[in-house]
Amino acid sequence: MSTFSNYMNNSNPLKRFFFKLFLLFIIIFLIDFSIGKTLAYFYFKQDSGQLFRTTYALEKTTEDILIFGSSRANHHYHPTVIEERLHLSYYNVGRDGNYLFYHYAILQGILKRYSPKLIVLDFMEEDFKASQDSYDRISSLLPYYKTHPEIQSTVLLKSPFERLKLISSIYPYNSSLFTIAVGNMEFNKGRNVEVKGYVPLTKKWNRSLQPISEVLPYELDSIKIKTFEAFLQDCNKSKVKVIVVASPYFKNSKQADYSIQKAIKIAEENNVMFFDYSRDPYFINNPGLFADIAHLNDDGAKIFTNKLLEDLQILEASKEP
Amino acid sequence: MLFNSFHFLFFFITVTVLYFALPYNRRWLLLLISSCYFYMAFVPIYILILGFTIVIDYFAGIYIENAQGRRKKLFLIISLIANIGVLAVFKYYNFFIDNLSVLLKGFALDNPLPYLNILLPIGLSFHTFQAMSYTIEVYRGHQKAERHFGIYSLYVMFYPQLVAGPIERPQNLLHQFREKYDFDYERVSQGLKLMLWGFVKKLVIADRLAIYVNAVYNNPGQHHGMTLIVATIFFAIQIYCDFSGYSDIAIGAAKVMGFKLMTNFNRPYFSRNISEFWKRWHISLSTWFKDYMYISLGGNKVSIPRWYFNLFIVFLISGLWHGANWTYIIWGALNGFYLVFAIVSKDFRDKINKVSGLAKYPALFRIVQMLTTFVLCCFAWIFFRANSVTDAFTIIKQIPDFNTPLYIENPSIMMYSLMAIGLLFLVEYKNEFHKTTFTFFNNENWVVRYLSYAFLVILIILMGVFDGGEFIYFQF
Repeated sequence: MSTFSNYMNNSNPLKRFFFKLFLLFIIIFLIDFSIGKTLAYFYFKQDSGQLFRTTYALEKTTEDILIFGSSRANHHYHPTVIEERLHLSYYNVGRDGNYLFYHYAILQGILKRYSPKLIVLDFMEEDFKASQDSYDRISSLLPYYKTHPEIQSTVLLKSPFERLKLISSIYPYNSSLFTIAVGNMEFNKGRNVEVKGYVPLTKKWNRSLQPISEVLPYELDSIKIKTFEAFLQDCNKSKVKVIVVASPYFKNSKQADYSIQKAIKIAEENNVMFFDYSRDPYFINNPGLFADIAHLNDDGAKIFTNKLLEDLQILEASKEP
Repeated sequence: MLFNSFHFLFFFITVTVLYFALPYNRRWLLLLISSCYFYMAFVPIYILILGFTIVIDYFAGIYIENAQGRRKKLFLIISLIANIGVLAVFKYYNFFIDNLSVLLKGFALDNPLPYLNILLPIGLSFHTFQAMSYTIEVYRGHQKAERHFGIYSLYVMFYPQLVAGPIERPQNLLHQFREKYDFDYERVSQGLKLMLWGFVKKLVIADRLAIYVNAVYNNPGQHHGMTLIVATIFFAIQIYCDFSGYSDIAIGAAKVMGFKLMTNFNRPYFSRNISEFWKRWHISLSTWFKDYMYISLGGNKVSIPRWYFNLFIVFLISGLWHGANWTYIIWGALNGFYLVFAIVSKDFRDKINKVSGLAKYPALFRIVQMLTTFVLCCFAWIFFRANSVTDAFTIIKQIPDFNTPLYIENPSIMMYSLMAIGLLFLVEYKNEFHKTTFTFFNNENWVVRYLSYAFLVILIILMGVFDGGEFIYFQF
């Protein structure tokens, strides 16, 4: 080792620099590869929790009805109500803190394998709003980038350097170390009550309604709009029935949010039914059905799901010749 | 261009390779072009503002050197007015209008002046202060006026320190653009190591802590007691790692090419009093205010009340330098008050220390002093971070309420934050108290050295926040 050091110290500084840099890259590559593979092993070994649900959604779902969306999808669509009323199997592929890009990537993974009978996409206020955060959240899909070519174009929206970053085996699991560790522990399974991806909330909102809020204009993101259109068109192409739902909020607005207004138009153009409950007076007058202003609790979810199915049946009946 | 971006990584590699490949007499041009590119990556048009002050100060420098007496002073004043004028328009005008409107409203009058719909040019206060230090030093006769327009422009625009310092003095930096720096293995290696540690501070520590700090400080009304204390301590560490991390990357990037920039931070949270804190925190700004304002006001060579006034006013203006908001002004005033109070109460505090017997235990005494200084800093940071003065007072009012449990939305964010703080403390403690005992980065054993570099790179990939965004001090 000392001979090596002596040799290196006496060689040309530029040559010495590049040799040492190369050596450093080799060391980093080996450590990165080992840790990355270990993380991947434990990531895919999980059999409960949020990360597992993404794997299940992309790779294993076979259910008839799939619910797409963010945390609001997770908490608002009651599985028992849907399964009992429609006699179809249900799974909720929604994921907390993830937006249209995530939903579309999951849809691509699913449609590659099979065609569900019904897809419900929960649409949020400001879903089309230009914000970097939505792009940052694409990181939830990084562990699947190499094994799921169908989602790669969506993942690459995250940044122009994503391909380069993904040379690292650790990068797809960035900031997931503790979540993966907890997801592999026994106690994790009892941590969150979860029924087929549906996560019931038990809290009851007890604050009064805020005064009517102005709907302020904001910049729309054309990529998000195109992603939404692609979501509906891909479903139509695969002959999968899709409906879009803006589920209830506990807040008073003069008019529908701009993204919702835009989404209604796009849905209409694509012959897709859109149900807007975002300002539904029944829910606004019942704070006890909410856990917070953006999420229904379990009681609220049951009532809302029943209401949605009734409205869907009425609308379908009216369309029948 | 953000230092914590891939864009910068490619930029840095390209510029450095070209720098060493070019003949010495062409390097200034490369650095000037690359600095323009670096600056224009933010808002391209704002390079014109920079160009305006560069032209004024370049000619002012030459005229100041050639003139005598009142004319000499006149050219200095023209330069200062141009620089402060730019600051006033772009940074303080809307703040002035805001306050004028409130004042006129009190007299039932409408404000006749319009708001300016403009973005604050990035790093404006930094390069303006650096430019002013040039004309002041030429005026004082400490620096010869630079005749080479390109070199002078580079002095203001040198990309590593263009948008967030260190605020250099012409005596230290200008001559370096004429030096002939060859590729020096040791220097390049030291520069890269400093950059690596700067990236860890920014990506692994500052941006991680920012997640919790932002969640709490953006909704201060919803949080109490322990949550507010934890968020404030986190912010103290976040701002240190954010800003000193930037400085490390800047100093490291310059060092790779051979330039020696001044030290900007020296482990400030190990300070035993506020005066020492300001000798260790943002050193390039503190010394700027000392050299060009405090001493010009008479420093401590005046009557005692005037001395206190000098201290207080310098810190008040330093607060305003940070931003056009009353939160920064109060933050500056608080620091000024701390310093004056420390002087006024010195005898009393010495007596207390004697009576309590604390002075007999130097290690314990030091810890008490460091903790007291840290608490005082944290209290002032509340104003610095709060989105408004109202928010700051809401926080102060709600801190004593310990009935609400600590807010932890995501346990893993808290775990990463605590790990990051632990790492920072270990490194800072070692560097402060055991600098020579054992080193990882400069260890004689290359295996230890390489594993320590690899450890930090892996730490960034594993725990770094890649979507953290800008450095806090860019806004100043």
